[in-house]
Amino acid sequence: MVLAQILLNGILLGGLYGLMALGMALVWGVLNIVNLSHGALIMLGGYVVYYLFTIGGIDPFVALPIAMLVMFAVGFLLQYYLLNLVVRSKMLNTLLITFGLDVVLTYLAQLTFSADFRTINPPYAGANFALFGLTVPSVRLAAFVVAIVLAAALWFLLHRMALGRAIRATAQNLVAARLYGVNPSVLYAVTFGIGTALAGAAGGLYGMIANLTPYIGASLTAKSFVIAIIGGLSNPFYVIFGGIFVGIAESLTALYIGPTYSDVISFGLLVVVLVLRPNRTLRTS
Amino acid sequence: MNRPLLIVSLLVAAGLATLPWLGSDTMIQFGINALLLATLAQSWNILGGFTGYVSFGNSVFYGLGTYGTAIAMTNYNLPFGVGLAIGAVVAMIAALLVGLPILRLRGPYFAIATLGLNGAMMAIFSNLPIAGSNIGLVLPLTRNDAMFYELALGLLVACSLTVLWISRARFGMGLIAVREDEDAAGSMGVNATRYKVAALVMASFFTAIAGGIHAYWSTFVDPASAFDSTLNVRMVISVVFGGPGTVLGPVIGSFILSTVYEVLASQISTAAALLFGVVIVLAVIFMPKGLADILRSRRNLTWRYFIRNIRENRL
Repeated sequence: MVLAQILLNGILLGGLYGLMALGMALVWGVLNIVNLSHGALIMLGGYVVYYLFTIGGIDPFVALPIAMLVMFAVGFLLQYYLLNLVVRSKMLNTLLITFGLDVVLTYLAQLTFSADFRTINPPYAGANFALFGLTVPSVRLAAFVVAIVLAAALWFLLHRMALGRAIRATAQNLVAARLYGVNPSVLYAVTFGIGTALAGAAGGLYGMIANLTPYIGASLTAKSFVIAIIGGLSNPFYVIFGGIFVGIAESLTALYIGPTYSDVISFGLLVVVLVLRPNRTLRTS
Repeated sequence: MNRPLLIVSLLVAAGLATLPWLGSDTMIQFGINALLLATLAQSWNILGGFTGYVSFGNSVFYGLGTYGTAIAMTNYNLPFGVGLAIGAVVAMIAALLVGLPILRLRGPYFAIATLGLNGAMMAIFSNLPIAGSNIGLVLPLTRNDAMFYELALGLLVACSLTVLWISRARFGMGLIAVREDEDAAGSMGVNATRYKVAALVMASFFTAIAGGIHAYWSTFVDPASAFDSTLNVRMVISVVFGGPGTVLGPVIGSFILSTVYEVLASQISTAAALLFGVVIVLAVIFMPKGLADILRSRRNLTWRYFIRNIRENRL
């Protein structure tokens, strides 16, 4: 029974992990940028929802779409005015610039939001219900559902809409896409904006489940990266599955080895996956 | 690096060696920190600068050197030198164990694989009774800043000479070949993984010694200070700002940044950290080849240099 409960917790948490990784996988697959500031953008999204909730008095789940719009704008501007300047250079440079961005965002957050722990705490935060003898926390279940819905929306956008076709075409062949009338700087900015909006949604949900501090970025970036690799970059649902896999692995580690090691396990998983399948091609959008 | 420049650098190093007799206590202490940071940057340069493999896990070797020295001196009452050696050996073994699997990965895979290293090590050392768990260890007190200063300076010189040797040796050529085109390097008979692991092990040696010196100097070690990820940030920035893959760039870059940081940190510490991030972003956009390249082409340096850098890389 304990095991079943742990598995359930892992699955619910894993959905959120998958959502975290979704934006990173999209940006990586299309723009070939491994965005090291992704975790910081998740953090930022969390704070947007936090302030919409505490100051604006808006229910956090209603605030999510607003935060996604805000974060879309942030991501669009970042890519259009900053990252587009270096996007063609070696991967070393895009890694470094997003790393610098991560440092800037982290300390800007510390200056403006302070280093205190924040939690998005709606009145129903502790609510749960019983199902087949298991306790299901309502907020976590809702976060899981939101993650699935957003993954489905992303799949629909990529495979059923003109914008998605343009994004996929650009990922395959930038020059050819340009010949067919795609404006790459705008398209890159839109893609990065979508990735950032997804990060923002993940941040809002994260803030309801765990503590927000300005420093959560780096570990979330690492986690998103692990999941993006396990899930691959080709299909949003695979990324969610990757997240669930990592969520279950973390929960089991916390149960059998010790909670301090749950962060270590995702690193271990990453090494195992990379060593077993080092030449896996990820860019197959 | 040509001969006159080498002689000037060695003369500057000799001049710096006289500081303990001339400078104030504060200056010596600032000097120790700056020299140790320059050593860390220089060792990061061995892998990051020459092969282009960005490591965010070098602070792990610093932490291992710190703990190796601290455990040897407090738990086993061994002398400082032995402690340093133990720390260095442990770090090199760790570099080998970590490097062999993850240096087979290319570019971004390696970089992010190292992102998790620091947190993993911190979790392990927080639960290790021999390392004082969460509380940490207190080392025997030695008030001899001049000795620590000279040790740090000696280490930086040794590390820089190693990098100078690398920049001229067959080994360094192999590393640069890996950076420019790993497949081509492989077809020319360069065993890329072996070269990269060797570079990481060399880097871990100097990084660990720097950690050991800092541990004995500050007389206190705990997981948060030993596995401080901001240390890694500073290594990366110093090298990127100064000039990756050059001999003097990382040293000059880290001296400048240490000075700026010291001035700013006395005002507000967050602003200092923020500045580091801004420096990386601007450096990548305007001078991706670092300060060293600007100094080299100073004769025909105009604003066009920076425009050209942008034009080469923008969409």
